[in-house]
Amino acid sequence: MSSTEQGTSSAAPAEPTTAPESAAAPEVPESFYYVHGKDKVVHKVSAGALQHSALIHGMISNLGYTEEQAKANPFPFENIDGDILQMVVDWCNQHKGKPTPPEDTNLPKQKEKLFDLVLAVNYLEIKELLTYCCKQVAMMVKGKSPEEIREIWMIPTDAEDEAAEKEAKKRAGKEAAGETAAAAGDAK
Amino acid sequence: MSFDIDKLAEKTKNLSIGPVYDTNWCDMPAEIKLKCIGKMELSERLSVRCTAKAERSLVESQKVKFQYGNIRVTSMFLDASLIPKYQDKIAFRKFGNVNKGFECLKFIWKVVVFENLAIKIRDRADAKEEIMSYTGKISAKNIEFDFCDNDVVVPILQKMDNSVESITVNAEADLAVDEILEITQVQNVPFWQILYYKKRDSLHKVAQMWLDKNSKVGTIFKASVKINGSFEEFSKHFLDCIVSKSEKRVRISTNNPDRHILLERGLDDVYKMHHPLKFFRLMVIPAEMKDSEYDDNCKEWICKMVPLTYKYFVRMIM
Repeated sequence: MSSTEQGTSSAAPAEPTTAPESAAAPEVPESFYYVHGKDKVVHKVSAGALQHSALIHGMISNLGYTEEQAKANPFPFENIDGDILQMVVDWCNQHKGKPTPPEDTNLPKQKEKLFDLVLAVNYLEIKELLTYCCKQVAMMVKGKSPEEIREIWMIPTDAEDEAAEKEAKKRAGKEAAGETAAAAGDAK
Repeated sequence: MSFDIDKLAEKTKNLSIGPVYDTNWCDMPAEIKLKCIGKMELSERLSVRCTAKAERSLVESQKVKFQYGNIRVTSMFLDASLIPKYQDKIAFRKFGNVNKGFECLKFIWKVVVFENLAIKIRDRADAKEEIMSYTGKISAKNIEFDFCDNDVVVPILQKMDNSVESITVNAEADLAVDEILEITQVQNVPFWQILYYKKRDSLHKVAQMWLDKNSKVGTIFKASVKINGSFEEFSKHFLDCIVSKSEKRVRISTNNPDRHILLERGLDDVYKMHHPLKFFRLMVIPAEMKDSEYDDNCKEWICKMVPLTYKYFVRMIM
């Protein structure tokens, strides 16, 4: 695993920021964790930012990592594209310790990216970001006709669906027949 | 350390998501699709519903709340005006193509939960057929029928779910109360009223239904009637069980010793005995209620029935 500092995301905050506290209170250093996606690029994220993800938050609580252990064992999210994970990390950093606004206009407009983001966010259990993403998905079809929606979201018609199902059944039948014939050949 | 990695590996393995993401709507899990549909306005939901069978059932499984709904069907058009919340913009509008309108109307009934729903369907045989053919439920807390006859009122009320709390029927069109009283939703509703009724049978028939069903204390029926004789007909029908009677009220006992039924005539300085429109309020009351506890201010409950008419008559007599 290439969890080197060179691989650390540039989008991650350079230094953890702490909320101003009273002079008497001792400053508690913020702890950091490390995550990587399919591209193995490691992102350093503060525990505060990761609070947004119920999944990662749960992992942190269960594992009880020290700073050193966390650095040596980045959380692997092999099923999330690197650029999507980068977006998620950026969002978590931007909204660290802040109340989330009612709208988020910085989400990708590109369909594929948005759907990937939705799935990643759902997987990472980031409730607020998922709400924004779903809103954005809904906005994609605003004012569109069923035909236009079918085209935008690549939804097959019922006829196309049925044809594909038939084809799949036919293929499965052929494969099963082939396997039976092979088994009979082996028996001989 | 390897122990930690093992634990982590096991954790990620147990999470139910495939290793590769697809990027189409069709590859999204149903719960995400539902979340997205939940963020759409009604017209977009209608469009998504028309894309494919799977989408149709998803859209129809998601209820959406509206504060006001006004559905009008005339010989020329079908108009469905829906307002999500007070002061929000209207979500739906007129359909010149009435058939398309009905298709939409059925979708609305299927997915919308109304706070207040007003229906006005006049002289359209096809509308009645469409209502009859609708097999789903209609959800509204308060429902009002305007110029609708039994062919519209009865099937719609039969399709209402249990959330209905008040029913108002404007009986300018011919209305037969017997058929309405057989509907379970009417038998269970805590409040309902008939306005501008043209027969004198409503009061005693409603009271009889309450008697038969042992209706709860607090159940109310109000009526405005265009002809004389409803009060007298009620008194005659329940002659044997009258507990007390005056010019304004008749109180009868019921089979349940804890409950009485009280009929009140709406009489005040504006609505006098000779007024062409008669107002009545029928209530199931606790048997121990004293005469001194009666509400003598009929203006309030009449005003709620016909607010504009009351103001008009006040102006007339001043």
